[in-house]
Amino acid sequence: MKIQGIIHQQICQLKWHLLACLGLVMVLPIEEAVVSLKDGTGVYSSTMVIVSLMFAPLLTGLIACANVQGDFEEKRYIFWRSKPVNVKLFVTLKFLTGLIASLIIIACPAIFGLVLSIFCKDYLEDETLQYFLPFAVLIAILTYSLCFGCNVLVRRTARAWLIGMLLGAFILVLPFILPLNYRDFVSDVMFGAWGYYPAIMLIASAAAFVFALYAAQHEWHLKTNLKGLLWVGTGLVFALMMLFNSQVANIKVLQEKEIESHDWRWNALDSAGDRVIFQGRSYINTNNNKISFSNIDVNPDDIDEITVPTTRIGGYRTRIYPWRGRLYKKTEGNLYSLAIYVYYRNEEKKDIYEKVYLRSHMFTGESWMQDDELDISDCLEDSTYPSTTMRLIDNKLIVLVNKSLVIIDVSDPQELKLIDKKLNALKSRAPYFYDRRKEFAIPLVPVEEISSEERIRLSIDRYYHYNDIYETSKVNIHNKQISFFRISQDDIARFDVTGWDDENIYCKFGTARPFTILERLTQDYSFHRAFVKGGKLYCPGEHTLMVFDIRSNQKIRKLGHFVRMDYRIEDIAVLENGNTLLHMYWSQNLSKSHNNQSKRYLCLLENPQ
Amino acid sequence: MFRMILWKEWKENLWKLLFCSATSVVFIIMLFRMRIIPDFSNCILISFIQMFVVPVVYSLDIFSGEVSNRTIHLLFKIPVKRWMIFFSKYLVSALGIVLVFLISAILMELMTRGREASMLFLLGTNLLYGLAGLFLFTWFCVFGCQSRSEAGSLLIMSAVFIGWGIILLWSSVCEVTWAERFVPYSLLLTDITEISLAGIVFSQIFAFAAVLAVACYRYVSIRRYL
Repeated sequence: MKIQGIIHQQICQLKWHLLACLGLVMVLPIEEAVVSLKDGTGVYSSTMVIVSLMFAPLLTGLIACANVQGDFEEKRYIFWRSKPVNVKLFVTLKFLTGLIASLIIIACPAIFGLVLSIFCKDYLEDETLQYFLPFAVLIAILTYSLCFGCNVLVRRTARAWLIGMLLGAFILVLPFILPLNYRDFVSDVMFGAWGYYPAIMLIASAAAFVFALYAAQHEWHLKTNLKGLLWVGTGLVFALMMLFNSQVANIKVLQEKEIESHDWRWNALDSAGDRVIFQGRSYINTNNNKISFSNIDVNPDDIDEITVPTTRIGGYRTRIYPWRGRLYKKTEGNLYSLAIYVYYRNEEKKDIYEKVYLRSHMFTGESWMQDDELDISDCLEDSTYPSTTMRLIDNKLIVLVNKSLVIIDVSDPQELKLIDKKLNALKSRAPYFYDRRKEFAIPLVPVEEISSEERIRLSIDRYYHYNDIYETSKVNIHNKQISFFRISQDDIARFDVTGWDDENIYCKFGTARPFTILERLTQDYSFHRAFVKGGKLYCPGEHTLMVFDIRSNQKIRKLGHFVRMDYRIEDIAVLENGNTLLHMYWSQNLSKSHNNQSKRYLCLLENPQ
Repeated sequence: MFRMILWKEWKENLWKLLFCSATSVVFIIMLFRMRIIPDFSNCILISFIQMFVVPVVYSLDIFSGEVSNRTIHLLFKIPVKRWMIFFSKYLVSALGIVLVFLISAILMELMTRGREASMLFLLGTNLLYGLAGLFLFTWFCVFGCQSRSEAGSLLIMSAVFIGWGIILLWSSVCEVTWAERFVPYSLLLTDITEISLAGIVFSQIFAFAAVLAVACYRYVSIRRYL
């Protein structure tokens, strides 16, 4: 048997199919490159390369069918079977020739995309492509082998292709049904997860090939028009698998409780120590996974001591930080809230900011009464709108107003004590990422009164967590390793702290977890609220909550999701046991009118593991 | 006679309805029970695959099957107008596609019962994809009605699918809004306003009628097999 001759004959037989498939997979990347070039934004084609690679497995299946069908049609089959041919060798050569040709076709758009990515320094898409490519190749091998095996048996192109694709889809879903604890398609399956999933695909491909050899050797031929046993059997297998499958990645709802909420505030849930306060009026208890409310304890002796030293400033308007929530300080007997009050007046259609106060309020059982105040107006450098943030660390309150820094002892909130004040001590601008793979430095906030870890956390949050730093953080400290997270429309990126000195913190890019196309489609773009707690990254969107495991240094893995498209997630609090409490708003029509029926809910979610 | 041809086509294509429905049902049950991704994402994933696969299944041998089985000679000798033969094939396939999507949409709705998305939202989304699939199938008829092999039909279908992808990419990047309206996938764009929706529907109906007429003309003018 002339091996070269057989290979040549196979290539000649497949040439039109190969050319057609090549044209189909290349046309979109080339078009994207041309359009981007014409648009003047560079020459890139990574997005369409991924789209091409997504449907490349369909085409490799088609090549497999066309490969087999040519020699298994009735007349040609009789012809070559009448010759002294080693059937297994012949089928093996057919299989390998078609497979290599298919892989070359897949490689063409991938190489095209990679070259353009390197040329344009389009680092993100380049990275996605690098991860996505092996996965696409594996699926292509799987669909090719299955379609090849099916066509040897069925000997009709279209039907073999359909059966092959169906089996391929089943094998892709199968690992999720098996007890392998797969939750996240991206982290568990696609991105460098060389475990069971690719093994299952490779084993299935090898099995399909061996089956094809035996089917050809023994002349197995299933004459079916797809109405018969095959489909019933397949359906039964699926149904049986379903009965034993209950694996879920959605976060379980433990209780959902409708609440009366007349005094509406966006941030209704705030933490005070280990307790969660609802709307500044009552504690929320979640014992036995049931939501209940209890009153906030009040020491009546302390109420008598309130002196109400409010500075009355007439004709001014007020801005309060935190403007949507509250920063609480819990002492043995009482509950206090701390806030920054900025006073401004309007002069010739221009706001002029003149006074800044830090105030503590005490809860009296019915209302909040002012207890003490500290004038920090000298932190204002000019009359423009000041940026204000603060964070409570142990008993020290760090207040940042523009470029100035104030450290206050709040061990007794009835008497605010100034520890230190540093005017114009902060650098204002955060580093901008032109290339996130390069090491970069974040200026360190000059506070010696707190631990270095807290200082780093505060410095990073000041630049990347903006206004919400009073209650949450984007920094994770695990096994003495400090890292922080940035979330964009494309991915979640982790940056590791490599070191620090008196001036700066040095960071470098660690890893990224790209969002899938589906996640990008359904993303509701309010991931700025994302925060880290207990080794997990919580990403609340407007209607969606996604929780990621960030304890591993290797990958960011999604643990679960919670979606309510009719609801708006207004606030989130993570309890000490890891369960999550959501404050949600439901309206008959969220977008149009305020007069329609609306309700508010508290929702207790199970800790995703 | 037309009813007889319709009945013949229905019987010949019943396996496609059964195949597509059974496969859709199994995968819907499986994915919506596993809930690896949210319901809406599951719905988009399944609907998108259906939008491509269901028209492919129907168009695989609807025209080329008569050639490969050598029944085209017999079919064209029946005393029925050729446009009737074309429409019998088209109507049966269109009905099948609609039924598959309807079954899937109802099942999705029953399985989720508004647990993540509002009631009838998934049903509407899936049916919208079904409509796009029907438009794609109609476009396939233009190019595939003279196809002689199943592999050729598959390639033509892929080319139609990708071709519209190219036009969508070009029209959206270069902001050619009039061209975007004719793309079958334009119904699936989420940011369409009420005014542009009316424009899209009008354009799609116009394109649909024109394409169907061209496909019918091409089928009627087949000469080479006879």
